[in-house]
Amino acid sequence: MDNLITHIDYIAAVVLFLIGLYIMLVRQNLLKKLLGLNIMETAVFAFIVTTGMVHDGSPPLLAADASGPFASALPHALVLTGIVVAVSITALALALIIRIQREYGTIELQELLNHSASGQSHSGVRQ
Amino acid sequence: MRSWLAIVLMVVLGVLMIIAVIQLPQPGSPDAPAQTHVSAYYVEGGKELGGAENLVTAVLLNFRALDTFGEVVVIFSALVAVLAVAAAVAGTGPAGITRTAAETESVEVSPLVAFMVRLLAPFIATFAVFVMLKGHVLPGGGFQGGAVLGAMLILLALFAHRPKPSRFGHPAGLFWLRATGVLAFVLVGLLGLAMTGWMFAMPHDPLAREAMMIALELGIGIGGAAVLIGLFRALADG
Amino acid sequence: MGIAEFIDLLLLGLLIVCALGVAMLRDLVAAVIMFSIYSFILCLLWAIRGAPDVAMTEAAVGAGITAVLFLTTIAVVGRREKK
Repeated sequence: MDNLITHIDYIAAVVLFLIGLYIMLVRQNLLKKLLGLNIMETAVFAFIVTTGMVHDGSPPLLAADASGPFASALPHALVLTGIVVAVSITALALALIIRIQREYGTIELQELLNHSASGQSHSGVRQ
Repeated sequence: MRSWLAIVLMVVLGVLMIIAVIQLPQPGSPDAPAQTHVSAYYVEGGKELGGAENLVTAVLLNFRALDTFGEVVVIFSALVAVLAVAAAVAGTGPAGITRTAAETESVEVSPLVAFMVRLLAPFIATFAVFVMLKGHVLPGGGFQGGAVLGAMLILLALFAHRPKPSRFGHPAGLFWLRATGVLAFVLVGLLGLAMTGWMFAMPHDPLAREAMMIALELGIGIGGAAVLIGLFRALADG
Repeated sequence: MGIAEFIDLLLLGLLIVCALGVAMLRDLVAAVIMFSIYSFILCLLWAIRGAPDVAMTEAAVGAGITAVLFLTTIAVVGRREKK
Protein backbone atom coordinates (compact mmCIF):
# COMPACT_ATOMS: atom_id res chain seq x y z
CA MET A 1 0.00 0.00 0.00
CA ASP A 2 2.94 2.31 0.49
CA ASN A 3 3.80 1.74 -3.16
CA LEU A 4 0.63 3.55 -4.17
CA ILE A 5 1.97 6.80 -2.78
CA THR A 6 5.51 6.59 -4.12
CA HIS A 7 4.37 5.55 -7.59
CA ILE A 8 1.78 8.33 -7.84
CA ASP A 9 3.23 9.54 -11.16
CA TYR A 10 2.67 6.21 -12.88
CA ILE A 11 -0.82 5.89 -11.43
CA ALA A 12 -1.77 9.35 -12.70
CA ALA A 13 -0.65 8.34 -16.21
CA VAL A 14 -2.77 5.18 -15.99
CA VAL A 15 -5.82 7.18 -14.86
CA LEU A 16 -5.41 9.63 -17.76
CA PHE A 17 -5.14 6.75 -20.20
CA LEU A 18 -8.36 5.25 -18.88
CA ILE A 19 -10.18 8.60 -19.10
CA GLY A 20 -9.15 8.86 -22.75
CA LEU A 21 -10.33 5.30 -23.38
CA TYR A 22 -13.70 6.09 -21.77
CA ILE A 23 -14.15 9.11 -24.04
CA MET A 24 -13.38 7.01 -27.10
CA LEU A 25 -15.82 4.26 -26.13
CA VAL A 26 -18.83 6.18 -24.86
CA ARG A 27 -19.10 9.52 -26.63
CA GLN A 28 -20.89 9.46 -29.97
CA ASN A 29 -19.42 12.51 -31.65
CA LEU A 30 -16.42 11.74 -33.87
CA LEU A 31 -14.54 14.88 -32.85
CA LYS A 32 -14.92 13.99 -29.18
CA LYS A 33 -13.55 10.52 -29.91
CA LEU A 34 -10.54 12.12 -31.57
CA LEU A 35 -9.93 14.27 -28.47
CA GLY A 36 -10.05 11.09 -26.39
CA LEU A 37 -7.44 9.50 -28.67
CA ASN A 38 -5.16 12.49 -28.16
CA ILE A 39 -5.55 12.25 -24.38
CA MET A 40 -4.59 8.55 -24.53
CA GLU A 41 -1.50 9.34 -26.59
CA THR A 42 -0.28 12.11 -24.29
CA ALA A 43 -0.86 9.93 -21.24
CA VAL A 44 1.45 7.28 -22.74
CA PHE A 45 4.07 9.97 -23.45
CA ALA A 46 3.89 11.17 -19.84
CA PHE A 47 4.44 7.61 -18.65
CA ILE A 48 7.47 7.10 -20.91
CA VAL A 49 9.14 10.38 -19.89
CA THR A 50 8.58 9.60 -16.21
CA THR A 51 10.51 6.35 -16.50
CA GLY A 52 13.60 8.34 -17.45
CA MET A 53 13.34 10.85 -14.64
CA VAL A 54 15.88 11.16 -11.83
CA HIS A 55 15.35 13.05 -8.58
CA ASP A 56 17.15 16.44 -8.76
CA GLY A 57 18.51 15.39 -12.12
CA SER A 58 19.61 17.79 -14.79
CA PRO A 59 18.57 17.69 -18.45
CA PRO A 60 20.73 15.48 -20.66
CA LEU A 61 23.04 18.23 -21.94
CA LEU A 62 26.77 17.62 -21.68
CA ALA A 63 27.85 21.23 -21.45
CA ALA A 64 31.28 21.98 -20.02
CA ASP A 65 30.08 22.45 -16.45
CA ALA A 66 27.24 19.98 -16.29
CA SER A 67 27.43 17.45 -13.51
CA GLY A 68 25.33 15.25 -11.38
CA PRO A 69 22.82 12.62 -12.40
CA PHE A 70 21.38 13.17 -15.84
CA ALA A 71 17.85 12.38 -16.88
CA SER A 72 17.89 9.55 -19.37
CA ALA A 73 17.98 10.73 -22.99
CA LEU A 74 16.42 7.73 -24.68
CA PRO A 75 12.80 8.23 -23.51
CA HIS A 76 12.94 11.86 -24.67
CA ALA A 77 13.86 10.77 -28.19
CA LEU A 78 11.09 8.17 -28.30
CA VAL A 79 8.49 10.69 -27.12
CA LEU A 80 9.60 13.27 -29.71
CA THR A 81 8.97 10.78 -32.49
CA GLY A 82 5.68 9.88 -30.84
CA ILE A 83 4.48 13.50 -30.75
CA VAL A 84 5.13 13.85 -34.50
CA VAL A 85 3.18 10.67 -35.22
CA ALA A 86 0.31 11.91 -33.02
CA VAL A 87 0.08 15.14 -35.03
CA SER A 88 -0.01 13.16 -38.27
CA ILE A 89 -2.80 10.91 -37.01
CA THR A 90 -4.83 13.91 -35.81
CA ALA A 91 -4.50 15.75 -39.13
CA LEU A 92 -5.55 12.75 -41.20
CA ALA A 93 -8.49 11.98 -38.89
CA LEU A 94 -9.70 15.61 -39.11
CA ALA A 95 -9.57 15.48 -42.92
CA LEU A 96 -11.64 12.29 -42.86
CA ILE A 97 -14.17 13.87 -40.46
CA ILE A 98 -14.62 16.86 -42.79
CA ARG A 99 -15.17 14.47 -45.68
CA ILE A 100 -17.72 12.44 -43.71
CA GLN A 101 -19.60 15.61 -42.84
CA ARG A 102 -19.77 16.59 -46.47
CA GLU A 103 -20.95 13.18 -47.60
CA TYR A 104 -23.47 12.34 -44.91
CA GLY A 105 -24.32 15.61 -43.23
CA THR A 106 -23.62 14.43 -39.70
CA ILE A 107 -20.78 13.21 -37.52
CA GLU A 108 -22.73 11.46 -34.77
CA LEU A 109 -22.03 7.75 -34.74
CA GLN A 110 -25.63 6.63 -34.22
CA GLU A 111 -26.93 8.64 -37.14
CA LEU A 112 -24.14 7.36 -39.37
CA LEU A 113 -25.04 3.78 -38.50
CA ASN A 114 -28.69 4.53 -39.33
CA HIS A 115 -27.61 5.90 -42.68
CA SER A 116 -25.66 2.84 -43.62
CA ALA A 117 -28.41 0.55 -42.30
CA SER A 118 -30.94 2.19 -44.58
CA GLY A 119 -28.59 1.55 -47.45
CA GLN A 120 -28.14 4.89 -49.13
CA SER A 121 -26.33 8.08 -48.37
CA HIS A 122 -28.48 11.11 -47.87
CA SER A 123 -25.79 13.56 -48.47
CA GLY A 124 -25.32 17.19 -47.81
CA VAL A 125 -23.31 18.87 -50.48
CA ARG A 126 -21.78 16.42 -52.86
CA GLN A 127 -19.43 17.86 -55.46
CA MET B 1 -21.37 1.29 -25.64
CA ARG B 2 -23.41 1.86 -22.53
CA SER B 3 -21.95 4.14 -19.92
CA TRP B 4 -22.12 1.70 -17.00
CA LEU B 5 -20.50 -1.07 -19.06
CA ALA B 6 -17.64 1.26 -19.95
CA ILE B 7 -17.15 2.20 -16.29
CA VAL B 8 -16.99 -1.46 -15.25
CA LEU B 9 -14.42 -2.06 -17.99
CA MET B 10 -12.41 0.95 -16.80
CA VAL B 11 -12.34 -0.30 -13.22
CA VAL B 12 -11.20 -3.78 -14.23
CA LEU B 13 -8.52 -2.43 -16.59
CA GLY B 14 -7.46 0.12 -13.97
CA VAL B 15 -6.89 -2.49 -11.30
CA LEU B 16 -4.88 -4.66 -13.70
CA MET B 17 -2.74 -1.79 -14.95
CA ILE B 18 -2.09 -0.37 -11.48
CA ILE B 19 -0.99 -3.80 -10.25
CA ALA B 20 1.42 -3.99 -13.18
CA VAL B 21 2.74 -0.46 -12.78
CA ILE B 22 3.38 -0.61 -9.03
CA GLN B 23 6.03 -3.25 -9.51
CA LEU B 24 8.28 -0.95 -11.52
CA PRO B 25 11.18 0.69 -9.70
CA GLN B 26 10.29 3.93 -7.98
CA PRO B 27 10.16 6.89 -10.38
CA GLY B 28 13.22 9.05 -9.84
CA SER B 29 15.50 6.57 -8.17
CA PRO B 30 19.00 6.79 -9.59
CA ASP B 31 19.81 3.09 -9.27
CA ALA B 32 17.05 1.67 -11.42
CA PRO B 33 18.31 -0.63 -14.18
CA ALA B 34 17.20 1.87 -16.83
CA GLN B 35 19.51 4.48 -15.36
CA THR B 36 22.56 2.37 -14.62
CA HIS B 37 22.79 0.36 -17.82
CA VAL B 38 21.14 2.17 -20.72
CA SER B 39 21.45 5.82 -19.71
CA ALA B 40 25.04 5.49 -18.52
CA TYR B 41 26.03 4.14 -21.94
CA TYR B 42 24.63 7.22 -23.65
CA VAL B 43 26.16 9.62 -21.12
CA GLU B 44 29.64 8.15 -21.43
CA GLY B 45 29.75 7.59 -25.14
CA GLY B 46 27.49 10.43 -26.18
CA LYS B 47 29.98 13.11 -27.02
CA GLU B 48 32.62 11.08 -28.85
CA LEU B 49 30.40 8.57 -30.59
CA GLY B 50 27.33 10.73 -30.94
CA GLY B 51 28.93 13.97 -31.99
CA ALA B 52 26.60 16.36 -30.20
CA GLU B 53 26.49 17.76 -26.69
CA ASN B 54 22.73 17.60 -26.56
CA LEU B 55 22.28 13.90 -25.90
CA VAL B 56 18.72 13.82 -27.22
CA THR B 57 19.88 15.15 -30.60
CA ALA B 58 22.74 12.66 -30.61
CA VAL B 59 20.29 9.82 -29.99
CA LEU B 60 17.81 11.08 -32.57
CA LEU B 61 20.21 11.86 -35.40
CA ASN B 62 23.06 9.46 -34.86
CA PHE B 63 22.28 6.48 -32.68
CA ARG B 64 18.71 6.05 -33.92
CA ALA B 65 18.71 7.83 -37.25
CA LEU B 66 16.51 5.17 -38.83
CA ASP B 67 13.66 5.96 -36.42
CA THR B 68 13.89 9.66 -37.22
CA PHE B 69 13.80 8.82 -40.93
CA GLY B 70 10.61 6.86 -40.29
CA GLU B 71 9.10 9.82 -38.40
CA VAL B 72 9.84 12.22 -41.27
CA VAL B 73 8.32 9.82 -43.80
CA VAL B 74 5.22 9.42 -41.59
CA ILE B 75 4.47 13.12 -41.41
CA PHE B 76 5.08 13.54 -45.13
CA SER B 77 2.72 10.70 -46.02
CA ALA B 78 0.12 12.21 -43.67
CA LEU B 79 0.25 15.34 -45.81
CA VAL B 80 -0.13 13.30 -49.01
CA ALA B 81 -3.09 11.40 -47.54
CA VAL B 82 -4.81 14.62 -46.37
CA LEU B 83 -4.41 16.15 -49.83
CA ALA B 84 -5.94 13.02 -51.31
CA VAL B 85 -8.92 13.02 -48.93
CA ALA B 86 -9.85 16.68 -48.87
CA ALA B 87 -12.06 17.15 -51.86
CA ALA B 88 -12.34 20.51 -53.48
CA VAL B 89 -15.89 21.71 -52.87
CA ALA B 90 -17.54 24.94 -53.77
CA GLY B 91 -17.44 27.81 -51.37
CA THR B 92 -13.77 27.86 -50.48
CA GLY B 93 -12.79 31.16 -49.02
CA PRO B 94 -9.46 32.44 -47.76
CA ALA B 95 -7.95 30.35 -45.03
CA GLY B 96 -9.66 31.35 -41.83
CA ILE B 97 -12.74 30.88 -39.78
CA THR B 98 -15.06 32.87 -42.02
CA ARG B 99 -17.14 30.38 -43.93
CA THR B 100 -20.10 30.70 -46.22
CA ALA B 101 -21.99 27.78 -44.66
CA ALA B 102 -25.09 28.72 -42.80
CA GLU B 103 -24.37 26.76 -39.66
CA THR B 104 -21.32 28.69 -38.47
CA GLU B 105 -20.96 32.32 -37.59
CA SER B 106 -18.13 34.32 -39.09
CA VAL B 107 -15.45 35.86 -36.89
CA GLU B 108 -14.07 39.25 -37.74
CA VAL B 109 -10.34 39.75 -37.34
CA SER B 110 -9.66 42.63 -35.00
CA PRO B 111 -6.99 45.02 -36.30
CA LEU B 112 -5.14 44.87 -32.98
CA VAL B 113 -4.62 41.11 -33.32
CA ALA B 114 -3.53 41.47 -36.94
CA PHE B 115 -1.02 44.17 -36.03
CA MET B 116 0.46 42.19 -33.13
CA VAL B 117 0.82 39.07 -35.23
CA ARG B 118 2.56 40.96 -37.99
CA LEU B 119 4.82 42.66 -35.45
CA LEU B 120 5.87 39.45 -33.71
CA ALA B 121 6.32 37.26 -36.78
CA PRO B 122 9.99 38.13 -37.59
CA PHE B 123 11.05 37.52 -33.98
CA ILE B 124 9.32 34.15 -33.91
CA ALA B 125 10.98 33.18 -37.18
CA THR B 126 14.40 34.20 -35.88
CA PHE B 127 13.88 32.20 -32.72
CA ALA B 128 12.80 29.16 -34.73
CA VAL B 129 15.90 29.27 -36.93
CA PHE B 130 18.08 29.74 -33.82
CA VAL B 131 16.54 26.68 -32.17
CA MET B 132 17.12 24.69 -35.34
CA LEU B 133 20.76 25.66 -35.79
CA LYS B 134 21.83 25.34 -32.16
CA GLY B 135 20.10 22.02 -31.71
CA HIS B 136 23.21 20.05 -30.99
CA VAL B 137 24.37 22.27 -28.11
CA LEU B 138 21.26 23.73 -26.47
CA PRO B 139 17.87 22.11 -25.95
CA GLY B 140 16.14 22.17 -29.26
CA GLY B 141 16.76 20.52 -32.55
CA GLY B 142 15.15 19.89 -35.85
CA PHE B 143 11.50 19.34 -35.20
CA GLN B 144 11.23 21.84 -32.34
CA GLY B 145 12.26 24.69 -34.63
CA GLY B 146 10.05 23.32 -37.39
CA ALA B 147 7.00 23.24 -35.10
CA VAL B 148 7.56 26.85 -33.97
CA LEU B 149 8.05 28.00 -37.57
CA GLY B 150 4.95 26.13 -38.70
CA ALA B 151 2.90 27.66 -35.88
CA MET B 152 4.06 31.13 -36.93
CA LEU B 153 3.05 30.48 -40.54
CA ILE B 154 -0.36 29.28 -39.41
CA LEU B 155 -0.81 32.44 -37.32
CA LEU B 156 0.05 34.59 -40.30
CA ALA B 157 -2.33 32.69 -42.55
CA LEU B 158 -5.15 33.01 -40.02
CA PHE B 159 -4.90 36.57 -38.85
CA ALA B 160 -2.88 38.71 -41.17
CA HIS B 161 -4.33 37.33 -44.44
CA ARG B 162 -0.89 38.04 -45.75
CA PRO B 163 -0.23 35.46 -48.46
CA LYS B 164 -2.77 35.37 -51.20
CA PRO B 165 -3.57 31.73 -51.87
CA SER B 166 -2.23 31.75 -55.39
CA ARG B 167 1.07 33.42 -54.55
CA PHE B 168 1.91 31.32 -51.52
CA GLY B 169 0.85 28.01 -52.92
CA HIS B 170 2.64 27.73 -56.22
CA PRO B 171 2.31 23.98 -56.60
CA ALA B 172 5.64 23.11 -58.21
CA GLY B 173 8.00 24.98 -55.89
CA LEU B 174 6.05 24.26 -52.73
CA PHE B 175 5.98 20.52 -53.39
CA TRP B 176 9.76 20.30 -53.24
CA LEU B 177 9.79 22.44 -50.09
CA ARG B 178 7.43 20.03 -48.36
CA ALA B 179 9.58 17.07 -49.33
CA THR B 180 12.71 18.66 -47.88
CA GLY B 181 12.70 16.48 -44.79
CA VAL B 182 12.66 13.20 -46.64
CA LEU B 183 15.07 14.41 -49.32
CA ALA B 184 17.60 15.76 -46.81
CA PHE B 185 17.57 12.50 -44.90
CA VAL B 186 18.04 10.36 -48.00
CA LEU B 187 20.86 12.54 -49.35
CA VAL B 188 22.74 12.67 -46.04
CA GLY B 189 22.21 8.92 -45.60
CA LEU B 190 23.67 8.19 -49.02
CA LEU B 191 26.56 10.53 -48.26
CA GLY B 192 27.21 8.58 -45.09
CA LEU B 193 27.07 5.39 -47.11
CA ALA B 194 29.68 6.77 -49.48
CA MET B 195 31.94 7.94 -46.68
CA THR B 196 31.86 5.11 -44.19
CA GLY B 197 30.17 2.14 -45.79
CA TRP B 198 27.03 2.20 -43.59
CA MET B 199 23.84 4.05 -44.44
CA PHE B 200 22.98 6.95 -42.07
CA ALA B 201 26.37 6.63 -40.39
CA MET B 202 28.46 9.70 -39.70
CA PRO B 203 32.20 9.86 -40.31
CA HIS B 204 34.59 10.43 -37.44
CA ASP B 205 35.90 13.74 -38.72
CA PRO B 206 34.22 16.28 -36.37
CA LEU B 207 33.78 19.00 -38.98
CA ALA B 208 32.07 16.72 -41.50
CA ARG B 209 29.93 15.23 -38.76
CA GLU B 210 28.75 18.60 -37.53
CA ALA B 211 28.02 19.75 -41.09
CA MET B 212 25.91 16.67 -41.75
CA MET B 213 24.02 17.11 -38.48
CA ILE B 214 23.20 20.75 -39.22
CA ALA B 215 22.07 19.79 -42.73
CA LEU B 216 19.79 17.13 -41.27
CA GLU B 217 18.32 19.50 -38.68
CA LEU B 218 17.65 22.22 -41.25
CA GLY B 219 16.04 19.66 -43.52
CA ILE B 220 13.79 18.30 -40.78
CA GLY B 221 12.91 21.80 -39.59
CA ILE B 222 12.05 23.38 -42.92
CA GLY B 223 10.34 20.23 -44.16
CA GLY B 224 8.31 19.95 -40.96
CA ALA B 225 7.21 23.59 -41.10
CA ALA B 226 6.18 23.31 -44.77
CA VAL B 227 4.24 20.09 -44.04
CA LEU B 228 2.40 21.69 -41.10
CA ILE B 229 1.32 24.75 -43.06
CA GLY B 230 0.36 22.43 -45.94
CA LEU B 231 -1.86 20.43 -43.56
CA PHE B 232 -3.54 23.59 -42.32
CA ARG B 233 -4.17 24.83 -45.86
CA ALA B 234 -5.56 21.49 -46.99
CA LEU B 235 -8.00 21.42 -44.06
CA ALA B 236 -9.05 25.04 -44.35
CA ASP B 237 -9.58 25.17 -48.06
CA GLY B 238 -10.89 21.72 -48.81
CA MET C 1 6.02 16.90 2.25
CA GLY C 2 8.11 19.57 0.64
CA ILE C 3 6.97 22.31 -1.71
CA ALA C 4 8.26 20.46 -4.77
CA GLU C 5 6.15 17.41 -4.16
CA PHE C 6 3.15 19.60 -3.41
CA ILE C 7 3.46 21.34 -6.77
CA ASP C 8 3.88 17.95 -8.45
CA LEU C 9 0.67 16.64 -6.90
CA LEU C 10 -1.17 19.85 -7.75
CA LEU C 11 -0.18 19.61 -11.40
CA LEU C 12 -1.18 15.96 -11.60
CA GLY C 13 -4.55 16.76 -10.03
CA LEU C 14 -5.11 19.59 -12.52
CA LEU C 15 -4.30 17.20 -15.37
CA ILE C 16 -7.00 14.78 -14.28
CA VAL C 17 -9.52 17.62 -13.82
CA CYS C 18 -8.81 18.88 -17.35
CA ALA C 19 -9.22 15.41 -18.84
CA LEU C 20 -12.56 15.00 -17.05
CA GLY C 21 -13.56 18.43 -18.35
CA VAL C 22 -12.89 17.33 -21.91
CA ALA C 23 -15.07 14.28 -21.32
CA MET C 24 -18.03 16.15 -19.90
CA LEU C 25 -18.31 19.36 -21.92
CA ARG C 26 -20.87 19.40 -24.71
CA ASP C 27 -19.63 22.48 -26.50
CA LEU C 28 -16.81 21.34 -28.77
CA VAL C 29 -14.92 24.65 -28.77
CA ALA C 30 -14.80 24.58 -24.96
CA ALA C 31 -13.54 20.97 -25.10
CA VAL C 32 -10.73 21.95 -27.46
CA ILE C 33 -9.71 24.81 -25.17
CA MET C 34 -9.68 22.43 -22.19
CA PHE C 35 -7.44 20.16 -24.26
CA SER C 36 -5.08 23.09 -24.86
CA ILE C 37 -4.91 23.73 -21.10
CA TYR C 38 -4.21 20.03 -20.55
CA SER C 39 -1.40 20.12 -23.08
CA PHE C 40 0.13 23.20 -21.49
CA ILE C 41 0.09 21.72 -17.97
CA LEU C 42 1.73 18.61 -19.42
CA CYS C 43 4.44 20.85 -20.90
CA LEU C 44 5.06 22.38 -17.44
CA LEU C 45 5.28 18.90 -15.91
CA TRP C 46 7.92 17.85 -18.39
CA ALA C 47 9.94 21.01 -17.90
CA ILE C 48 10.03 20.23 -14.15
CA ARG C 49 11.11 16.65 -14.83
CA GLY C 50 14.22 17.63 -16.78
CA ALA C 51 12.97 17.21 -20.35
CA PRO C 52 13.28 20.64 -22.05
CA ASP C 53 13.20 19.29 -25.63
CA VAL C 54 9.97 17.44 -25.09
CA ALA C 55 8.44 20.43 -23.28
CA MET C 56 9.26 22.76 -26.20
CA THR C 57 7.80 20.37 -28.75
CA GLU C 58 4.65 19.73 -26.73
CA ALA C 59 4.06 23.46 -26.21
CA ALA C 60 4.39 24.24 -29.91
CA VAL C 61 2.49 21.21 -31.19
CA GLY C 62 -0.17 20.48 -28.60
CA ALA C 63 -1.43 23.91 -27.71
CA GLY C 64 -0.54 25.54 -31.02
CA ILE C 65 -0.99 23.26 -33.97
CA THR C 66 -3.42 20.59 -32.80
CA ALA C 67 -5.83 23.13 -31.29
CA VAL C 68 -5.79 25.29 -34.45
CA LEU C 69 -6.45 22.28 -36.67
CA PHE C 70 -9.35 21.23 -34.42
CA LEU C 71 -10.88 24.73 -34.50
CA THR C 72 -10.59 24.82 -38.28
CA THR C 73 -12.55 21.56 -38.46
CA ILE C 74 -15.17 22.79 -35.99
CA ALA C 75 -15.79 25.79 -38.23
CA VAL C 76 -16.87 23.37 -40.94
CA VAL C 77 -18.63 20.77 -38.85
CA GLY C 78 -20.57 22.47 -36.09
CA ARG C 79 -20.14 23.37 -32.46
CA ARG C 80 -22.51 21.34 -30.36
CA GLU C 81 -22.33 17.68 -29.59
CA LYS C 82 -25.77 16.10 -29.71
CA LYS C 83 -27.18 13.90 -26.95
